[in-house]
Amino acid sequence: MPAKQTYKFSIPHLRILDQDGKVNKKLDPGLSDEVLITLYRRMVLAREADQRMLRLQRQGRLGTFSPSTGQEAAACGPALAMEESDWLVPAFRELGALLMRGVPLHRVLLFWGGFEEGNIFPGVERTLPIAVIVASQIPHAAGVAYTMKYRREPSAVLCFFGDGATSEGDFHEGLNFASVWKAPVVFICQNNQWAISTPLERQMNSETVAQKAVAYGIPGIRVDGNDPLAMYAATHEALERARAGEGPTLIEALTYRLMMHTTADDPSKYRSDEEVQAWKDRDPLRRMRRLLDSRKLWSDTEEEALLAQVKVQIDGEVKIYEQGVRAKPDVLFDHVWAERYPEIEEQRAAFLARQQGGETHG
Amino acid sequence: MFKFKLPDLGEGIHEGEILKWYVQEGEAIAEDAPLVDVETDKAAVTIPSPKAGKVVRLGGPVGDTIEVGAIIAVIDDGTEEATQAEASAPVPDQAPPSPEPEDPVPATPTAPAVAPAAAEAGLVRVGPVPAAPAVRRRARELGIDLHQVPGSGPAGRVSNEDLERFAAGGASPAATPAGPAISPAGIPFFQLDPLPDFASQGPVEREPVRSIRRKVARKMVTSMVVVPHVALMDDVDVTDLEEFRQQRKAASAADEAGARLSLLPFVVKAVTECLVEFPMFNASLDPQREEIITKHFYNIGFAADTPRGLLVPVVHDADSKSIAEISAEITRLALGARAGTLAPAEMQGGTFTITNVGPIAGTRLIPTINYPEVAIIGMGRAEQKVVVRDGEIAIRTILPLTLTFDHRIADGADAARFIRRLGELLSSPLTWLLER
Ligand SMILES: Cc1ncc(C[n+]2csc(CCOP(=O)(O)OP(=O)(O)O)c2C)c(N)n1
Ligand SMILES: [Mg+2]
Repeated sequence: MPAKQTYKFSIPHLRILDQDGKVNKKLDPGLSDEVLITLYRRMVLAREADQRMLRLQRQGRLGTFSPSTGQEAAACGPALAMEESDWLVPAFRELGALLMRGVPLHRVLLFWGGFEEGNIFPGVERTLPIAVIVASQIPHAAGVAYTMKYRREPSAVLCFFGDGATSEGDFHEGLNFASVWKAPVVFICQNNQWAISTPLERQMNSETVAQKAVAYGIPGIRVDGNDPLAMYAATHEALERARAGEGPTLIEALTYRLMMHTTADDPSKYRSDEEVQAWKDRDPLRRMRRLLDSRKLWSDTEEEALLAQVKVQIDGEVKIYEQGVRAKPDVLFDHVWAERYPEIEEQRAAFLARQQGGETHG
Repeated sequence: MFKFKLPDLGEGIHEGEILKWYVQEGEAIAEDAPLVDVETDKAAVTIPSPKAGKVVRLGGPVGDTIEVGAIIAVIDDGTEEATQAEASAPVPDQAPPSPEPEDPVPATPTAPAVAPAAAEAGLVRVGPVPAAPAVRRRARELGIDLHQVPGSGPAGRVSNEDLERFAAGGASPAATPAGPAISPAGIPFFQLDPLPDFASQGPVEREPVRSIRRKVARKMVTSMVVVPHVALMDDVDVTDLEEFRQQRKAASAADEAGARLSLLPFVVKAVTECLVEFPMFNASLDPQREEIITKHFYNIGFAADTPRGLLVPVVHDADSKSIAEISAEITRLALGARAGTLAPAEMQGGTFTITNVGPIAGTRLIPTINYPEVAIIGMGRAEQKVVVRDGEIAIRTILPLTLTFDHRIADGADAARFIRRLGELLSSPLTWLLER
């Protein structure tokens, strides 16, 4: 077929901090020592909270949840690049980003404990609730971003989702809408290579997630998702572009989920120990620690003190969670619509009647 | 004293099997230290201790199945009697100790226009009525308002039958309990109608199908749906074998193994020899790949009636074991099955199953294949019978056998040869011995 080449594309790849903790001088975003330490502390908090949640679930004190261990750089790096006035639209595997926004851990515990109150983050503005429905949050993010533009607010939206989410229609609708309307939003795909037990290559036929940006005419970049500096830098740049009216960006964070998909999942059934081990060697926390060590910003004593302090903090949050607010169980019917509709009220009544009957289901 | 109950480790898990204990009774444990490994339908997980203290009691030995909600460990944490319900479950309706602002608490909901119960009682329903598009269209054609039609499905869903019944002025199905008819796609005439309302016929009791009962149910339905079963029956003259067995029993009344010597180990051994000779009965059919997998190992399962339900312990490598060894192993496995102390491996890997209801009662039975095996032998009761031998009437001990087999893999003639050979071995133990 005689054809002329009309379009060619290439996808940039960004890494700044390598596995040994060495920084690429040319790309260094120049974060201050203080900020680097804070970033590390938040990543450690996210890791420890995640591990604690796993134990709580095993003890029957928390419901099913999706552990984020191993993905701290991809969640915390971007959050660091946000302004308070920006919007965070999370999926369900960005504990670090939520904590960096200032969401109290007990709210996250309430959410995974099955309480509606876990959807409310008191005192934390512009942070949407956890979205378990895969990709549902992507059109929301596009809509919020469009609103910012419509209202001429100089704020942008940061939206997280997984590699599996890119196979949903919502992903395409959201990116298309955002690109057409030049909505100020940064899409971050945490490509952790698995969607439950479906590996990336069974999920999509593209070489990268980032190249999907080409189809929407927006910048796409693949970033080492276990490199917090690269995640910060890429997001920072994309947010600036968004706030400057230049539209959305798609960032693919290449990372790995080190634990199970959710606590109801057994990954040993579908992936090898060698694969997991290879990614443990690329642990983002270890990388960050090496950087701090090389700059003489950290020591074992400080590490110990941090772990002790984080434990106290988590203990406190667990206590609040276990003794905390419990509104009526039917609150879940309150926020379906702004107004009260008879259909919903009918369901509420049936639900309450069943509760009283002590009947269980499941 | 903290009673730690097994939580639902996955979503909707009912039970788990104890794989490994990290502590012994009497030992101390720290909070969050590993306590026990439990395997559920979904995953094997390590459960950390929710409390620090001394482990007073473990919930069961390794291999035990423990139900969600049952006590998996009792830990003396220095407190009074408490279960985790009191100790750690969220306490409802309490103010948060945190200084943060209260959540907006919504106003009490207004009562719905019509409660669903009222709708069921025949009142007009409000809001959209659940029904499939085809049913809606049919209703429009018939000029019927779906709100008037009592629905028999979940949440009052109106089915085509409900609609037709209503159109015909027929009785409301509200008399029958709700529940959809189940019709697996593609099987003509196959439909599971909702059960009649037994409670209106007399007092009834309902209990959930759980655990072993559920496993048996699943396995049997799978087997019956997937496998074309054929049963072949024969009577085997075991007079000589019985005589020998009774002698052995008398001679070794003092010695346990001898005293317990039953017909089963002989049948296990004879079946094993037949399986070597007729490998298609020691196989499995892979339906996805359309391949027959012939196994070169001989693991014979036997059905054991236990207080927890039907279990099938397995005598592994029966081809390399003597009848005495098989007998001893059956005794051990049967006791273990009853006590609930068998390791999972002792109930796995079977290639053929034998079920022996004879000692209880029943002249013969047609067993269902233990899927994905190919065949199963059912032993009836061995009894003295009047038979004709060489033109004379004789009294002989007859063991009725049924071989149920998978007709996808084996044919009637194969089964006939198998059961004939089995009969030869069991009826002439001395010839059998000579051949070996
Ligand atoms: C619309 C929808 N479909 C299916 C599910 C069940 N589900 C939960 S997470 C998940 C996989 C998501 O994979 P990915 O987007 O890669 O995110 P990850 O879990 O790897 O973080 C699926 C299928 C769901 N929650 N929502
Ligand atoms: Mg994924």
